[in-house]
Amino acid sequence: MRDLLSYIIKRFGWMLITLWIVYSVSFVLMRSVPGNPFSSERNVPPAIERQLKARYNLDAPPIEQYVDYLVGIVTRFDLGWCIRLEDYSVNQVLAEGFPVSASLAIFALVFAIILGVSAGVVSAVYRGSFADVSMMAAAVLGIAIPNFVLASLAILLFVFGIQIFPAGGWGTLRQVALPALCLGAPVAAYIARLTRAGMLEVMTRDHVRTAFAKGLPRHTVITRHVLPGAMLPVVSYLGPATASVLTGSLVLEKIFALPGMGSHFIYAATQRDYTLAMGMVLTYTVILFIMNSLVDISYSIIDPRVKLQ
Amino acid sequence: MPPEVRRAFLIVACLVVVAAVAWASLFDATAPADFSLQNGSDPKTIDPARATGNIESRIIFALFEGLLTMMPEGDPDPITGLQPMSPQPGVAESYEISNDGRTYTFHLRDNAFWTDGTPVTSHDFAWSWQRMLHPETACEYTFQLYAVPFAEQYASGLVEVGDRVEVELWDRPLDTPTESSQQNFPRGTMLYGTLREIVKPPEPELADDLGDEEREDAMLDWQQQWVYRVDVAKENADGEVQWDDDVKSQTFTVDLNSTAADENTQRCHAVMVAFGKLGSLETPDDRTLIVHLKDAVPYFPNLASYYPLFAVNRKCVETFGSPLWTKAENIVTNGPFKLGFRRLRDRLRLVKNEDYHAVNPNGFDTVDFLSMEGQNTALNMYETGQIQWVTDPPTALLEELKTRDDFITAPQLSVYFYRLNVARKPLDDARIRRAIAKAINRVQIVEQVTKSGQIPAYTNVPPGLALYESAEGINPDIEEAKQLLAEAGYPGGRGIPKMTLLYNTSEGHRAIAEVIQQQLLNNLNVKVELQNMEWGSFLDKTQQKDYDIARAGWIADYPDPNTFLDMWVTDGPQNSTNWSNKEYDQLIADSAREGDPAKRMKLLQRAEQIWVDEMPVIPIYFYTSINMVKPNVKGFFPSAQDLHPLNLLEYRK
Repeated sequence: MRDLLSYIIKRFGWMLITLWIVYSVSFVLMRSVPGNPFSSERNVPPAIERQLKARYNLDAPPIEQYVDYLVGIVTRFDLGWCIRLEDYSVNQVLAEGFPVSASLAIFALVFAIILGVSAGVVSAVYRGSFADVSMMAAAVLGIAIPNFVLASLAILLFVFGIQIFPAGGWGTLRQVALPALCLGAPVAAYIARLTRAGMLEVMTRDHVRTAFAKGLPRHTVITRHVLPGAMLPVVSYLGPATASVLTGSLVLEKIFALPGMGSHFIYAATQRDYTLAMGMVLTYTVILFIMNSLVDISYSIIDPRVKLQ
Repeated sequence: MPPEVRRAFLIVACLVVVAAVAWASLFDATAPADFSLQNGSDPKTIDPARATGNIESRIIFALFEGLLTMMPEGDPDPITGLQPMSPQPGVAESYEISNDGRTYTFHLRDNAFWTDGTPVTSHDFAWSWQRMLHPETACEYTFQLYAVPFAEQYASGLVEVGDRVEVELWDRPLDTPTESSQQNFPRGTMLYGTLREIVKPPEPELADDLGDEEREDAMLDWQQQWVYRVDVAKENADGEVQWDDDVKSQTFTVDLNSTAADENTQRCHAVMVAFGKLGSLETPDDRTLIVHLKDAVPYFPNLASYYPLFAVNRKCVETFGSPLWTKAENIVTNGPFKLGFRRLRDRLRLVKNEDYHAVNPNGFDTVDFLSMEGQNTALNMYETGQIQWVTDPPTALLEELKTRDDFITAPQLSVYFYRLNVARKPLDDARIRRAIAKAINRVQIVEQVTKSGQIPAYTNVPPGLALYESAEGINPDIEEAKQLLAEAGYPGGRGIPKMTLLYNTSEGHRAIAEVIQQQLLNNLNVKVELQNMEWGSFLDKTQQKDYDIARAGWIADYPDPNTFLDMWVTDGPQNSTNWSNKEYDQLIADSAREGDPAKRMKLLQRAEQIWVDEMPVIPIYFYTSINMVKPNVKGFFPSAQDLHPLNLLEYRK
């Protein structure tokens, strides 16, 4: 327990340092891209542009902006007002978008884990069978097909073909189903392959052979002795999987008109919405860091050989 | 880790997953509205003084109402199907124009109310217009009021010695000694008087290698140090200023560190022309608004029905400040609909305003403006009945959709064009510019590329404006183009410097640029390189005039040829081509002063002829508006400004 606590503290420290670096790099990058948040087709007179800049503290020297904004974030968790979506503060945008993105990610991940692990176990146990070959072929396709293509196919099939799901929007389970499936499918495919490979490897181990030899029923051997070992690569993949679900949702949010926060990410960058872009980058950093740390911790708990450092 | 912990962990992990799924399944379900439409991306703001663009204006036209309002008048045009629209009574039930066309008297109706129950008065308009013009509001449409005396000086913050000015002291509710309050209303203490002197500290010496932006900044910093000596006059209780009585000389400056300031100098936010006190707008009573204009502006009723001139509720703005007053729980409006709620990336729900004076009993009770960027998504949702109005159908499917009955298209007052940088060789030669313009086959572009009924453009001003007859356009003729090129010294296109055509990244723009590139090569042997940039960088390049040829478009701000022509005057903010023509500038200025509509149109036509002959910009096509609306919706018709009053829509019985 001791080392767990010190590990968490250490990770937290690293996270702060990472955040600071991410903050600095994004700050410099965003301001060195040509254009500014106030550029529009209709030229803004210099005096008015200055007023707008003053509103967002963009008239201060860059160092001062850098410090002021950082202080605001650290002391008040205040990411400022959005520059383009000017009726909203960045915190409000995150507060509205995060729950949607989180629900979508949860559904996608849970779906991916259930489908991926079951498919992987079945393929490994019935290795070489028709089920194995077809499922692994599907998994290869699942990894190869980008989720927006999958989404288009799914819409054709389930919205216009068999009309069971709505075309877009957010607010009911039926509306979440399609995007979650499309988002989770590539992850499920990956998990299926990892599970299968892990299972096959563990099944050749001595302890499994012993378990079979002492006459344990097959399903007991699989669930008690093979699966826990085979799950380790899957658990370690959950960190990147979360990342892929979060970033993959940028596209799906657009296709299915979901009010998540992913689409703000791209929008903020192309519109030079400095504050919103910064808020998104920092939020994603925190989420990914926390997910990776959680995965590491659970890994150390499941596998006694792994020590937290 | 001991095995018990491991087992416990597994159980906890399972519980967490179950809890997470349970949490994710909690939806606060909203029933769909009576009518839903695709509104593009999220509205930037719903403050009429801050908004620009279609996405915002569609919402603002439903939430607010101006003095006048654009409504259909007469029968649709038999050929194009366009429904003529004209400014008709809104908050004002009637208005009179003086004989010289320079004074408008609006009579406000007695049954126009804000959603908080108070009546809409002439003071609301006078105050809102001043707020709109105030430099700190940073409205992009201030020029719409520039015909009102002192409005332009006020909006640009320019003062001269001898002007009657207003001084806003540094005591706004949220002012601190270091930071200015970001809220320009409510204002600090206002003093009025006559500006007697501006004491300027020595002008800062600027290094030669300074960029334009730094130079501008340094100049603006310097201007903040100016000290203004004002003979402050007395203000009567009724707000009238005794300009020449009881005056007391005082000094003011924005930056107290100024070397020109002394210990009696007071800090102020700005010294500006006293727009509100100089009689440009008169409000003799709650229901009369008199607007004085410098010139007869025949299209002023159109301006009065456009959203930048809408009134906002003073109490609401001053209580909550900008932008918090626009939140659904705070906002006070006066239009046919009220704001229900607003969710980012999702929807903006409007609810019928039952107290609206012209409420449509059969109209929709609730309307959802869905934030949807995906063209295909919108069409999918339309086809499955989730939305009833598509404002931006997928370009790739236009040809197929075009044949359907619910596909509504009509010419629009907007033009797609290429700016030419006339400071660059070889485009500094008008013959080259005309040669390029003549060698482009626009019919091929609209028929094979854009494919949704656009009209080839040979002039600047789109057809369909009352009283206006466009100048004679540039006629496409490859032989003449070749000859012009030869006259300019590049026979057969030999030796002509390579030009770059800049466009903002988009499939549609690329396709057009590629066709033009091919046409110029085939017809004139002129090589053009294509370059695309994402929007922000593209605008930067264009505005800094760092391009050879750059694409652009323009949508009419008001239905009058002037909106297309006055942008090309020398150093006009949207000119960006380096083009300058004295005669053209003069004609535009003359037309603004011309009281006789027919003569005025002639002047504008002459100006357009110069533009066509000089060709600083190559018109490509006039846009068409494209909408898809369910056939059971009544009251939707195509209009030249793509305006569709939401209040008129209802379901067929």
